Amino acid sequence: MKLLTKLTLTTTFSKVAIVLLFVVLLPFLIDRVAFQSTNKLLKQQAEKVIDNIRKNGIDYYLQGDSSYGSYTLLKEEYISLERKKNIYTADTIQTSQRIIEGDTVTYRVLNQAFQFNNQLYELEVGRTIASISQYNSPLQKIALYVLGILIILTLLIDLSFTRILLRPLKTIIQTKILNPVFPFKESPPPVNTTTVDFRYLDKSLIALMDRIKEDFDREREFTSNASHELMTPIGILQTKMENLMLLNDLDEMVQEKIIEMMKTLNRLKKIVHSLLLISRIENDQYTRQDNVQPERMIRDIITELEHRLEDKNIRVSVSVDTQAILKQMNHDLLFQLFYNLINNAIRYNKQDGSISISDKVTTEGSYAISITDTGIGIPLGDIDRIFDRFRKKNSHEAESYGLGLAIVKCIAEYHAMRLEVDSTVGEGTTMTVIFVRNLMTLQ
Amino acid sequence: MKVLIIEDERGMALEMEHFLIKAGYLCDLAFTAKKAGQFMEEGPYDFILLDLGLPDKDGLLVLEEAKQTCPEASYIILTARGKLEDRIKGLDLGADDYLPKPFSLLELQSRMQAISRRKSGLKNNIVPLGEFTVNLNNRTVLYGSIDIELSKKEFDLLGYMLLNKNRPLTRMQLSEHIWGSFSDDDYDSNYIDVHIKNIRKKMTEYAPVDWLQTIRGVGYKIKI
Repeated sequence: MKLLTKLTLTTTFSKVAIVLLFVVLLPFLIDRVAFQSTNKLLKQQAEKVIDNIRKNGIDYYLQGDSSYGSYTLLKEEYISLERKKNIYTADTIQTSQRIIEGDTVTYRVLNQAFQFNNQLYELEVGRTIASISQYNSPLQKIALYVLGILIILTLLIDLSFTRILLRPLKTIIQTKILNPVFPFKESPPPVNTTTVDFRYLDKSLIALMDRIKEDFDREREFTSNASHELMTPIGILQTKMENLMLLNDLDEMVQEKIIEMMKTLNRLKKIVHSLLLISRIENDQYTRQDNVQPERMIRDIITELEHRLEDKNIRVSVSVDTQAILKQMNHDLLFQLFYNLINNAIRYNKQDGSISISDKVTTEGSYAISITDTGIGIPLGDIDRIFDRFRKKNSHEAESYGLGLAIVKCIAEYHAMRLEVDSTVGEGTTMTVIFVRNLMTLQ
Repeated sequence: MKVLIIEDERGMALEMEHFLIKAGYLCDLAFTAKKAGQFMEEGPYDFILLDLGLPDKDGLLVLEEAKQTCPEASYIILTARGKLEDRIKGLDLGADDYLPKPFSLLELQSRMQAISRRKSGLKNNIVPLGEFTVNLNNRTVLYGSIDIELSKKEFDLLGYMLLNKNRPLTRMQLSEHIWGSFSDDDYDSNYIDVHIKNIRKKMTEYAPVDWLQTIRGVGYKIKI
């Protein structure tokens, strides 16, 4: 679930819960408030009556009788005054029922005893409960409506505000995680936000990127330096061996040993060369300004590899648009890329096999060149690893150094091309190079 | 022909000297730019082989100055740095060729000979080969007036062996020259035999080719 949804749901849920609790509690609250104000009113009434008696004498009410009672027309209120001999109850306010003219009515009743002219009197003032609690349910309803509307309003505000709050998170993910292409050229600028947590996240990600870049740079530099340093001793050994070979009276066995040594050294030289090539590509040491006609390049490569094709009697069919031009390429690197791919297509092919090289414009409008062979194929689990350095398709294949496809991958990345591999064991492999749309034009 | 080898790696310099003396060149060795400067003032050279990674001075700067002192010499840059800019700059500054380390001495010599041919201005650089004549410039092999058609690779092979005549060349050395850095030595060196067989077949139609010798376990040699 999205953070936005989660946040909105929790706040809404808690709001609804609180509102419901309030609405449920509302009658009790109202009752309490009503009782209290009624009590106050009753007390005031009682005081008024006692005041009147003090001013005007008891007969103002009793007029000679021993008791007095009066109620309003709708019986919401009544008052009664009675002369008593003894009062046992204390002054109270309570809810009780009275029968007035045959009607049983529930009243809030105040009983108060007082003395006047050495005589005990009991005053009772009442007010109906009905008049108090009749507002409960309409009030509840109104509260429900008003609060419901308030909840919806706050929900909308919450939604839009949370969305604004969370916007930096999206920017951070986009600029720091999704957009950057490895290897990072430079760390992207920090995201502008006032939320400390996001700033912290952003900072941490930038620090992480910097560290990765640093490590990568160090490794790159190491490869480059190591390769350079290796080249000199290899060169010395090679020249020494070459000079040895030129000695006139060499024993045949010695000669053979020297040749074996030269072969081994040559292999080392090739590996170092390949590593150096990869490191140079990664160090941006090649320009990308050439326009290349892929059809012609592929034909050149096939001519170059003719001897291998003949050896295995492999047929090659090329159907690549002669009008296609690839822009912003490095000619030599692209040559190397196709050379390695076609060379592999021959190397891992069967006797009397075939290779077909074709191009197409994909559904997304990119230009793609596919090289399909009828070779041994690659097991599905190995496909991800074939582009790794020193990883061979086939371990008993002594001819390869395991760097050919690593170079292909490196060159492809350098030109922002994509590589796709499709293979069936025993049937063959299709390697597809996909060029970014704007890098291809037709003449 | 006089050659000045400017190379700080002694082992490398001595092997180059050894090889070139055997090939009939006169060599001077300079391990530093300073020493090289002294040599250059003393006498004209036909070739100056310059390592760019000298300890006491930037190689490109050395080249720039050397071009003033020895303008008539041919320059070949040798370097393990192999940066593209160095190569372009070097050639811009007037170097005649550029050889990345590690290189084969045979390749070095063939480059030197190519430069000589170019500089001597001879349109037709004709070398006799048994009863044939080989024109290295326009890449033809003639028997009398009959043009023997060799494929591109076959001519490359013949030409390279001819430049390195009387030296045994391994299949690996030959394949590296022909297929360059793309070559997979073990794989491609087998094809050298096929090409040699074709050359022999095409040429023996006209005259014996006993100058093209097979050296068992090694490779081939042109002996004249």
